[in-house]
Amino acid sequence: MTSPSQRFVTFEIDGREVTAPEGAMLVDAAKYGDVEIPVFCYEPKLGQPVGACRMCLVEIEGMPKLQTACSTAVKDGMVVVTTSDKVKSAQNAVVEFLLVNHPLDCPVCDKGGECPLQDISFGWGAGRSRFIEPKRHFRKPIELSPLVAIDRERCILCYRCVRFSQEIAEDYQLVFLERGDHTYVGTHDGHPYVGPFSGNITELCPVGALTSTTYRFRARPWDIENAGTVCTLCPSQCNVELTTRDDNRVLRVMARDNTDVDDGWLCDKGRYGFQLFHSPDRITQPLVRDAGELRPVSWERAMDEAVRGLDRAGERAAALVGGGATNEEGFLVQFLMRSVLGSPHVDSRPGAALDREHALALSRPDLSAAVADLDSASAVLVIGAELVDEAPILDLRVRKAGRRLGVPLVVATSRPSSLDPNAAAVVRYAPGAEEALLGALAAELSGGGESHPRQGRAGRASLHEAAEQLGMRRPSGDSERARLAGAREEELRTAAEALRGERPVVIWSERLTHGERGNEAVAALLALARALALNTGDGGGMIGIPRGANGRGLREVGCAPNMGPGLGAVDQEGLPATALPAALGRSIEALLLFQADPLRTHPDRSAWERAVDDAGFVLAFSDFRNETVERSADVVLPAEAYAEKEGTVTHPDGRLQRLRQAVGRPDGVRAQTEVLLELVSRLSGTRFEAPPAQLTHLVMDAVPFYRGLTLDRIGGRGLRWQETDAAGRLPQAPLPDRELARPPEPPEGLRLGTGPSLWASVETDHAASLRFLAPRQEAQLSPEDAERLGVAPGDEVEVAVNGTGVRARAALRSNVPAGSVFLIEGTREDNANALTDGGPRTVEVRKA
Amino acid sequence: MTWSPSRDVIEVQRGPDPGGLGGAYRAFGETLRGLKTTFGRLVEGPVTLQYPEEKTPVYPRFRGRHRLHRFEDTGLEKCVGCSLCAAACPAECIRVVAAENTPEHQVSAGERYAAVYEINMTRCIFCGYCEMACPFDAITMGNDYELADYTRSDLIFTKEMLLADPVERTPLRREGE
Ligand code: SF4
Ligand code: SF4
Ligand code: SF4
Ligand code: SF4
Ligand code: FES
Repeated sequence: MTSPSQRFVTFEIDGREVTAPEGAMLVDAAKYGDVEIPVFCYEPKLGQPVGACRMCLVEIEGMPKLQTACSTAVKDGMVVVTTSDKVKSAQNAVVEFLLVNHPLDCPVCDKGGECPLQDISFGWGAGRSRFIEPKRHFRKPIELSPLVAIDRERCILCYRCVRFSQEIAEDYQLVFLERGDHTYVGTHDGHPYVGPFSGNITELCPVGALTSTTYRFRARPWDIENAGTVCTLCPSQCNVELTTRDDNRVLRVMARDNTDVDDGWLCDKGRYGFQLFHSPDRITQPLVRDAGELRPVSWERAMDEAVRGLDRAGERAAALVGGGATNEEGFLVQFLMRSVLGSPHVDSRPGAALDREHALALSRPDLSAAVADLDSASAVLVIGAELVDEAPILDLRVRKAGRRLGVPLVVATSRPSSLDPNAAAVVRYAPGAEEALLGALAAELSGGGESHPRQGRAGRASLHEAAEQLGMRRPSGDSERARLAGAREEELRTAAEALRGERPVVIWSERLTHGERGNEAVAALLALARALALNTGDGGGMIGIPRGANGRGLREVGCAPNMGPGLGAVDQEGLPATALPAALGRSIEALLLFQADPLRTHPDRSAWERAVDDAGFVLAFSDFRNETVERSADVVLPAEAYAEKEGTVTHPDGRLQRLRQAVGRPDGVRAQTEVLLELVSRLSGTRFEAPPAQLTHLVMDAVPFYRGLTLDRIGGRGLRWQETDAAGRLPQAPLPDRELARPPEPPEGLRLGTGPSLWASVETDHAASLRFLAPRQEAQLSPEDAERLGVAPGDEVEVAVNGTGVRARAALRSNVPAGSVFLIEGTREDNANALTDGGPRTVEVRKA
Repeated sequence: MTWSPSRDVIEVQRGPDPGGLGGAYRAFGETLRGLKTTFGRLVEGPVTLQYPEEKTPVYPRFRGRHRLHRFEDTGLEKCVGCSLCAAACPAECIRVVAAENTPEHQVSAGERYAAVYEINMTRCIFCGYCEMACPFDAITMGNDYELADYTRSDLIFTKEMLLADPVERTPLRREGE
């Protein structure tokens, strides 16, 4: 993406000529001349500077008063002084002032040793205070939320946390209460500050006022080491730093700023989910089912059983790879299946298979946008995805694009989205009608309204006129599609209007391809891409959010039933995950579950229950005794947590990122790649051995468009394969130019929509600090439907399809469209997947 | 550069040979001169201390085994587990793991207390930096120097050992002694 080329200016600071980018704030510009100006409230991540703390005062020639360097842009020829007596005395005064109410109890403070206030008091303070009056007192420490403790005495009122809540997370919960020296930070209604991103304020606070309850007092900066890796708990794949101490445990997770990926933010699942690594419930020993019970056994015995089970099944084995697996692990599983056992059945998606043609088209480098492209997009379309639940950090990124960079946002979802208030246009459609909606939007874009800037204004206009003369204002079929999608035509039209521009970026959820008509939906998506002319220009593109954290990588290394490594064609197509339940116990005997838990994450739970019961042999790599394991696994091999892995993963935008081992594995847990290699060796009779780096090399070689990528090149920041020479090796796939199929008639009745929740996850269940967030099943209804059904908010209801029911608590939402009801996927109990089967569903809701 | 043995040979320069009489003086005269001191002291009686029955007294500022202190009035530990001693320690032999006080379990005066406090005496060089670093005078160097033990692990002193009443095995030097 082209950003306006940067210009440089020359200015003088402390007698030195310095060149710095034009428009940079003096604080940043000074760094080009190795001058440090102390700051508290300035944090570029938070947007515009506010100039609240006055720590950064400097003298600028020609200005009578001192200026705040954090909010003064550098100009050509400016003369800045940071060391004069005037500046010094101002700095001393500000420090003294900040410390007036500050307890300075560093020894008990958790921030001690990594505290900017300590550093600045030491470096720029006068070292004494004239304040002898009593300081202000608060009850402390108290819980701002179960995850964050607040000590109001230490707060220096820098506004950072409040700005985060107001301008970044946009949850508008944190505010300054009272005024003057009574000011303190709190939530506006006194409720705990709970939100998907609340933990970030602990990293932002420049003093020890906000601390995370999981790290409080655990260690000092000189006790710890930080290891950089990548969080693989969701597709955002944030860059993280894991803090470890001498006891080989992860103590906290901090952001490792990478503007190309996460902008330096983390969600609370990523920040606090680390507790799951050290959960006492974790499986740290191989288990074998013995008289119906899973019992711990030695590795030798477990491996013997595993080898025997897989060997017996041979080509009648199938594998499911969970989204947390690395590229290397995924590659080895598909290699084990295809090349060793001779079975084509390997899948990593919970839905139907994606056509190879479509997968290739979707991977085209010209169609794919990078995360950073969101910042310079002409408009952003979010389709079918609730980002905060599916890839939370992208939610923040989209908010930033809208708020700070003025990028118009179009939200097209069936479930009301938390991004709605930010959107220039919102399109609601019926659950499961993505295909019709995409088609309608594509038709709207290539049909009515303004002509597309790149499609020859004149030609389009005359066509339009001709059409008008013929009395057809809009190409027929549009309104029909809109009807099939259950969407309103005006909404579609405003959305299309907002999307016309040079560089739109489309964020779509892969969930819309999981259904029975997934491939038709992809065809419609590609038609939309064509209508937006994403393939012709230098900007714009799409980002697909897979269900699993490394969904994209797994597909690209060959964990798909119809595609081998590098999206290559396969001789024999395997069964996709959706077809497995029917085949298990019949044509398929053995099932390898690689960090996968189909009973929780895959649709059609009852079919899966039957299937895993019927399976002759189930080998599971798992970190917890989840339901699938308890119910069906014959052999369980302990799985690694991401902090223990070496390998690579691929971000939804094609960025390869590197996982590095931060802590040792618990006793009894072996590296999964090593175990897989042992299985490969024993089952094939040829010895395979490869240390992690060599394995990565192998994978990069096996995927044509990864070729030439090395761990060194990937480095700490990652590298998008689309930006390397190897991208040309992706098999060419044209954008299909077929007439879109007619979407099916929507079913009559109350339609069921399901969606993931950030908190309906294994991390929430097993990380002690997050447990309070585990959601109960909730049925979101429109007030109209609720009235019709006689359901009041908070009622226990049963949502049922053909006699199968799920219990839920009724929640009335005025923004839920009438005729739809929404449930959460993946909850521990009352999982919505008992009702789903990949197709559109109508349900009955009754009071329980 | 190749090594040649001849380069490393050092020639010893000897003094001039004193000759017959001089030689005899060197053999006996100097010895007798030394023995004069020996016999002169003999009358003073033995000065050897019969350790371990008797112990060398130490100066009050002698830096021996550490002690952790409590407040006399409340009985709370003075140490708040700030880890500053661990940061100051050049031998890196202090390990502090802090935890949070609760009203039911109040260990120290502040919010924070040392849940684990260990000094590895096999590595301590008795420099006293920990004492100097402590903002609460929670740790001080005692006078005890009898720290030998049979296993290394026994030489990792825990918080309980350091908090226990001071071992009074070591006599202090009296004023002017
Ligand atoms: S916030 Fe910083 S200066 Fe204040 S008590 Fe804590 S460590 Fe000390
Ligand atoms: S709590 Fe921290 S971040 Fe918030 S205003 Fe106070 S000092 Fe700033
Ligand atoms: S006396 Fe010196 S070496 Fe010994 S524990 Fe204290 S700081 Fe460390
Ligand atoms: S002994 Fe003193 S310096 Fe060491 S942790 Fe305790 S309070 Fe801090
Ligand atoms: S950093 Fe400039 S006013 Fe706070």
